[in-house]
Amino acid sequence: MAKKMNRRSFLKYSGAVGATTAISGFPAILRSQPKEILVGAVHPVTGPAADIGVSCRRASLLAVEEVNSRGGIKSLGGAKLKLLLGDNAFKEEQGRMEAERVMKEGAVVLTGPFSSGVAMTIATLCEQRQIPFVMDVAAAANITQQGFKYTFRCFPTSSNFAGNEILYLETLMKEKSISKLKAVVSNTGDLFGRDQGATFIKFFKDKKFPVDVLAHIEYPLGIQDLSAEVSKIKALKPEILIPITRPGDAKLMITELYKQRVELMALIGSGPGLYEPEFVRDMKALSEYTMDNVPWYNPQGKMYKEVNDRFSKLYPGKYIDTNSGYSYLAILVIADALERAKSAKPEDIKEAVKKTYFKQDLMVGGAVTFNDKGDNVNADTAMVQVLGGAVKVVMPAKAAEAKYVFPMPKQLWERGM
Amino acid sequence: MNLNLLLQLAVSGFLLGGVYSLIALGLSLIFGVMKVINFAHGEMMVWGMYIAYTLFIWTGIDPFFSFLVSAAILFILGYLLQRTVVNRILDFPEAMQVLPLVGMAMVFENSARIIWGPDYISPQSRFALSSLSLGNVMIDVPRFLAFSLAIVITIVVLFFLKKTDMGKSIRAAADNRIGALLVGKDINKIYAVCFGIGTACVGTAGGLLVPIMPLSPHIGAPFTMISFIIVILGGMGSLAGAMVGGFIIGIAESIGPELITGLFQGVGLDLEFPNTMKQVVSFFILIVILLLRPQGLFGGRRA
Repeated sequence: MAKKMNRRSFLKYSGAVGATTAISGFPAILRSQPKEILVGAVHPVTGPAADIGVSCRRASLLAVEEVNSRGGIKSLGGAKLKLLLGDNAFKEEQGRMEAERVMKEGAVVLTGPFSSGVAMTIATLCEQRQIPFVMDVAAAANITQQGFKYTFRCFPTSSNFAGNEILYLETLMKEKSISKLKAVVSNTGDLFGRDQGATFIKFFKDKKFPVDVLAHIEYPLGIQDLSAEVSKIKALKPEILIPITRPGDAKLMITELYKQRVELMALIGSGPGLYEPEFVRDMKALSEYTMDNVPWYNPQGKMYKEVNDRFSKLYPGKYIDTNSGYSYLAILVIADALERAKSAKPEDIKEAVKKTYFKQDLMVGGAVTFNDKGDNVNADTAMVQVLGGAVKVVMPAKAAEAKYVFPMPKQLWERGM
Repeated sequence: MNLNLLLQLAVSGFLLGGVYSLIALGLSLIFGVMKVINFAHGEMMVWGMYIAYTLFIWTGIDPFFSFLVSAAILFILGYLLQRTVVNRILDFPEAMQVLPLVGMAMVFENSARIIWGPDYISPQSRFALSSLSLGNVMIDVPRFLAFSLAIVITIVVLFFLKKTDMGKSIRAAADNRIGALLVGKDINKIYAVCFGIGTACVGTAGGLLVPIMPLSPHIGAPFTMISFIIVILGGMGSLAGAMVGGFIIGIAESIGPELITGLFQGVGLDLEFPNTMKQVVSFFILIVILLLRPQGLFGGRRA
């Protein structure tokens, strides 16, 4: 569907551009500019995060359509953006291969890739080929600590995540007058999960935060049976669980917690899996009260409302969330850089991306602007919670749509499923 | 070491082991008779899962009943696959037999992706969330049902092979292909039926797994791998070996990490064996068994 739309609009626009050029006769200098700027978008549209990958790809395509319908890149004579789609299947080696392919096909700038592990391989490749890489989603802190000059990240880093998790937990504990919490941290064994889990535990320890981490449980990506891990969690009797998940294991985790009757005050996660439309659809009442600390869309934002309207009209039942939101944003950042660069050469684009100051109210956080490492200094996370079958921002107070519910009023198995 | 936890882990592992056995039984049967390794095994299981899921969505029939439909459709698929692809490669060298079947695995995986989409789905069927507690041990009802049905089906398959005419012909063909041909058996048909039974086993297992784990087109490959380990461990082509191997792997992966951590701490080491490495446990067992008994636990003498 997405592909068809893209071709149709592409034909329409290239037709329109052709006609205008023929009729009005652009000055020669403009006519020599490229009519089309190729952008590589490599997302995991198959494999263990395929649902997220597909929604990222759809958001990127929607953003490209938006840019083109506003007249393309004006400083380049209205050149249109065109996405070269790639699939990284959540595998490092395939991510690199696909990135290489889109570069060969002429991509001058890349976006993607959702997975931190894949981000690392593509970033290394982009550095070699000197092609700018504007990452939409990838959180592992060390990607931008390699001294790369061509890699930029719109997404928050794992230290942002951990810092905010502590901030939100602190507020929560103060408001509910809790002095100490016993927690178990669990995570998937991919780069993001490991980095996130380890950073959390380190932050708790370094800041002497009154959260007692009883155990750190790690399991492989794409696991199909979590009964052993959950039995272990049950034996430790934690008060809260901090799960760092992916779509499949998030569902497994919740059903196992239900079946094994694990008593918890709350699930306060930090990662994908616990807020997507597919999670709420399948888990129904079991998804209620699940909290997650994520970079989120800004529910009060004008831009968010417009984009989400179009997105959910195109794909009924889906909405712009963390990942698709950042994919959309990354394309706008690229378009903005192209506009300022007045050139489609990778080197010029890189220089322009570096100077980005892109105001937005699509996602929580301020204008997109990169520090010398390439991290977006204004990226931020919010605490969301599933309430009444919808995902609501509950913290920070200034973006909150609802008051958080803590502890869970009903354990998982008391919810009449 | 927490004994209660170990017992819980052993029970969960044992119950899942029953389903593993059924998956491996199909692979072992096909290998035992045709000497072909079905590399599309896990992907065919995913098809079994999706068929049971689709029936559940359309008609509301619980996967614990509709697995019979999965089995029937997978039988037909297996039969056709043998007739069109596998039959042509029977006399090829082993390395050349691998490629067409790996290719079929890709066809199955990607056609599932086209038909059902890439999302993880976990349908809320009736028994999906029920569990019983016996003292301190929790018994997962869908897992227990899957286990019991898997055992019943395994017995039915074994009975079929021992007692029926078709079963006897299959065993005859496995024993001596030329001999079976000389006494007038239709070898092609026997092979196709046998392949169909093997894939029907894995289709059944797929249906039984729907209430237990979320389904997605790409989850098949690890199951091909695990059933392959089980079959080698139990002895290539030995049906009893597949059964026992399934239980060994199920229990080992479940209690392994905890037990090893316990052992580490018992000798005064402050180390934890991570759950991410639980496959190391199964491979370790596999290597040990292959060192001590290269033909596998129940493997007969090889010429």
